[in-house]
Amino acid sequence: MHRNEVNTRHCRNVNENPCNMCMPMGGILPFKGIEQSMVIIHGSQGCSTYMRRHIAEHFNEPVDVGSSSLNEKGTIYGGAGNLKQALDNIRKVYRPRLIGVLTSCLAETIGEDIDGIARDYLHERGLADFPLVTVSTPGYGGSHAEGYWLAVKRIVAKLARPTEKHAGINVIVPNLSPADIREIKRILELMRVKYTLVPDFSDTLDSPYTRTYKKIPEGGTRLADIEQMPGAAATIQLGVTVDESISPGHYLQNEFGVPLYNLPVPMGIENTDLLVNLLARLTGGKIPVILEQERGRLLDCMIDSHKYNARGRSVVFGEPELVYAVVKVCVENGVFPAVVATGSRSARLEELLKPVVAECPLEVRVVNEADFTRIRACCRDMGVNIAIGHSDGKYLTEKEGIPLVRTGFPIHDRVGGQRLLSVGYVGTTMFLDRITNTLLENKLKNYRSSMYQKFYRGVEENNQCSVGS
Amino acid sequence: MAVNEKALEEILNKYPAKVKRNRKKHIVIRDASQGHQEIEANTRTVPGIITNRGCAFAGCKGVVLGPLKDVVHIVHGPIGCAYYSWLTRRNKAKSEDPKKNFLTYCVSTDMQEKDIVFGGEKKLARMIDEVVEIFKPNAITISATCPVGLIGDDIQAVARAAREKHGINITAYNCEGYKGVSQSAGHHIANNGLMEHVIGEGDWEEPPGKYTINILGEYNIGGDSWELERILKDIGYHVQAVMTGNGSYEDLKNAHVAQLNLVQCHRSINYIASMLETKYGTPWLKVNFIGIRSTIESLRNMALYFGDPELIKRTEEVIARELAVIEPQLEPYRKICAGKTAFCFVGGSRGHHYQGLYEELGIKTVLAGYEFAHRDDYEGRDVLPYIKPDADSKNIPDLHVTPDERRYRLKIPKEKMEELKEKLPLCHYKGMIPDMKDGSVIVDDLNHYETEEFIKVLKPDIFSSGIKDKYIPYKMGIPSKQLHNYDYSGPYYCFRGAVNFARDICMSFTSPTWNFAVPPWKDRPLLEGTIAECAAGETCAG
Repeated sequence: MHRNEVNTRHCRNVNENPCNMCMPMGGILPFKGIEQSMVIIHGSQGCSTYMRRHIAEHFNEPVDVGSSSLNEKGTIYGGAGNLKQALDNIRKVYRPRLIGVLTSCLAETIGEDIDGIARDYLHERGLADFPLVTVSTPGYGGSHAEGYWLAVKRIVAKLARPTEKHAGINVIVPNLSPADIREIKRILELMRVKYTLVPDFSDTLDSPYTRTYKKIPEGGTRLADIEQMPGAAATIQLGVTVDESISPGHYLQNEFGVPLYNLPVPMGIENTDLLVNLLARLTGGKIPVILEQERGRLLDCMIDSHKYNARGRSVVFGEPELVYAVVKVCVENGVFPAVVATGSRSARLEELLKPVVAECPLEVRVVNEADFTRIRACCRDMGVNIAIGHSDGKYLTEKEGIPLVRTGFPIHDRVGGQRLLSVGYVGTTMFLDRITNTLLENKLKNYRSSMYQKFYRGVEENNQCSVGS
Repeated sequence: MAVNEKALEEILNKYPAKVKRNRKKHIVIRDASQGHQEIEANTRTVPGIITNRGCAFAGCKGVVLGPLKDVVHIVHGPIGCAYYSWLTRRNKAKSEDPKKNFLTYCVSTDMQEKDIVFGGEKKLARMIDEVVEIFKPNAITISATCPVGLIGDDIQAVARAAREKHGINITAYNCEGYKGVSQSAGHHIANNGLMEHVIGEGDWEEPPGKYTINILGEYNIGGDSWELERILKDIGYHVQAVMTGNGSYEDLKNAHVAQLNLVQCHRSINYIASMLETKYGTPWLKVNFIGIRSTIESLRNMALYFGDPELIKRTEEVIARELAVIEPQLEPYRKICAGKTAFCFVGGSRGHHYQGLYEELGIKTVLAGYEFAHRDDYEGRDVLPYIKPDADSKNIPDLHVTPDERRYRLKIPKEKMEELKEKLPLCHYKGMIPDMKDGSVIVDDLNHYETEEFIKVLKPDIFSSGIKDKYIPYKMGIPSKQLHNYDYSGPYYCFRGAVNFARDICMSFTSPTWNFAVPPWKDRPLLEGTIAECAAGETCAG
């Protein structure tokens, strides 16, 4: 029997050990995936300092985010002057080709007219065509997941121009690792797709060591390519959990009539098949042998590991989009989820999970707007033995002894979050190996002692003639 | 290589004129022949300069209050600030009662849009009830984030009512991020709150030990305070309270009984030190337990203050014992470090403290500075009367304390005190500048652009700062040492800590990894791109 507990409200007032960050944090990331762009947070400088610190620790890269450094005076007279100075200085020192301006709790609470300030600024400086992308991201407006999508939508909306139809395909990706983005690009190239991928921080937030330090790292989606997105033959958005109001794919569909294919993140056989088949259909091309081989190897991996995986009872947590994809991988491999949680508020995730959860032989608890105290309590109730999510899940290991497979954002207590590959047939294979090996490691760690306790000690007590262990 | 005025001009010339004027006042090239050298500090950051500074909330909840372990620290605001200050400073704590250590918890009211519109006082009050019920903490603090002050939530009233209701110490701190110019404002706010509502709440009248001390401005990063307490206890001191690393409400409330207050981080805690002197007559001694020489000096000064021959003898015994252990260990590290140079840009005191340790290893500090210090941290406390208050500093209320009629007592006679003041840094801090060598550079609020430029000119062998700027030198092929969180290492205090530090620094110098990363200035420019000229009418500067 299934019992899908759906909890959309905090049952308490306390958020104890949060499972999400705030909106502007998510808003920074897409700007890092646009060529030669900079981003400013309009607020007190602590916001940008805190967020730079957390992003730098995940990606192990310099993360430059400006601040309008608002202070008490700004809260009374408004912060337009500060923001304009910040824009001048950022332009002077970085010479960016695009600047994003994100708001903070402070700017939104004092009612800053961010679009008005941006308009005035461009007018005063004679920069009518400069792309200054404003995004309203109050910390109380949503989690970092919503901040991310809204920023992508605003970037696309600012740059997209009515343009002639072309054969290219728009690809819009959620907050994936740079390695994942590179893998998606490789698949697109294997399928001979002409594409514009937004936002592409695969190079900027995982930049190779080169001999010359560059203030803004090379890479990112080209502005000219984003301008052309309205003429594309289709948009593929890896964002099934995204609300339409902040969905860049829906924007392109509604404004410019670009057909939208909203797909899940290609993790797992079925999800990756969806992407590959769609690409084949859109391009009329054949699926290359190399992808078929990779699919075959994934299947081989799944078969090799299925007995070990069958012992897994998982908790999956993090951003809704990733949670959905990871749950699919778990269900495909018999690591059936017992608890599925996101710190965001996502009605869509709940809807999407219903049929997936229905396939599970045991009870699954879905918790929206979760904090780790709630997640931990659910894990204890449900006998979870493996956790899959970002590094804040380390408390599940420390307090409950549940091993954690780190994936998603942020990963602060291990290196290499930016290099974790988990998408496509190849990435899923590697991801699944990480899950299986974690289960095995945990099993083997306890195997000898549990066998000893269960059988040998019992023998010893009954028969006095035992020999040493 | 040193920076001369000309090289400095070249760096600053890339700024808009107004920014140049502003930043020039924050940079000093040390020249002892000039006598007293002035620097501008604790003024507003230029907007759009990539500063390393944080906000008042970070200084209050993140730095000063956060490490108190038997206290639940509630962050009243939207979720971000609570999340970002969740155990991010590596302030370690262990508790005799495992149920009374709440450091791993991040507790927030997680304000939503409706709370911003309708106010969050009721939610906060309900939440305090829950926190008391769930955690049963010894005390609760409430720290405000930006929107709280703007929407007018009266967190002080909520705290007062909750204090009545639950009968435990509940204090509120109006440390909204926009207050002041950096986290320094938050230190001050936290100091005021602890002084007003916590210290002295206990009912002790007499010190529990013969030599009872408090350690102020010590946050137990990577276990620093544990190593220090090991030495102090060995000599015979009783440590009443540490503010605030591994500290607790239970110890802090009786901190008034100490006979001497040690001040390690002057910037973050000097307010409490001064107020304890005024209110209870307890003098404070500026100490520095980073580096061997300064540790020895600090221990000797403490013994001299108490003036007991037994204590002085025991101090020397412990020093000799520790030195015998570490000297042979340090020798190989000194050989590796000899002749190297460092940047030392940290917080509000470590930028000064680590220079001595570097020097003992044979490393010269060619550039140092503070993120958020005031002029007295650079120039010494003698400059205090000459610092003009500005709009920002006036926004942080000073707490005026008066002598406590019952508890005020002179710890040592006046004449003796005057005599000691001649010899010891009692109630005095001389600042960083006098300790710096001629030709070295002092930079206040170093930003990303200047970091890159100074590295190009000075070519340090190691860069020491925090995580936000550490990847810049990495990308340039230069090792970096995080002096905020110690790169998950430590402790670095006292004698044995110095060995840990030497080991970690040498790791950076000797790792084979760097053999593959030729420093870029050897054959190619460090920075590509040009800086745009300021168009007419642009107001680039603040």
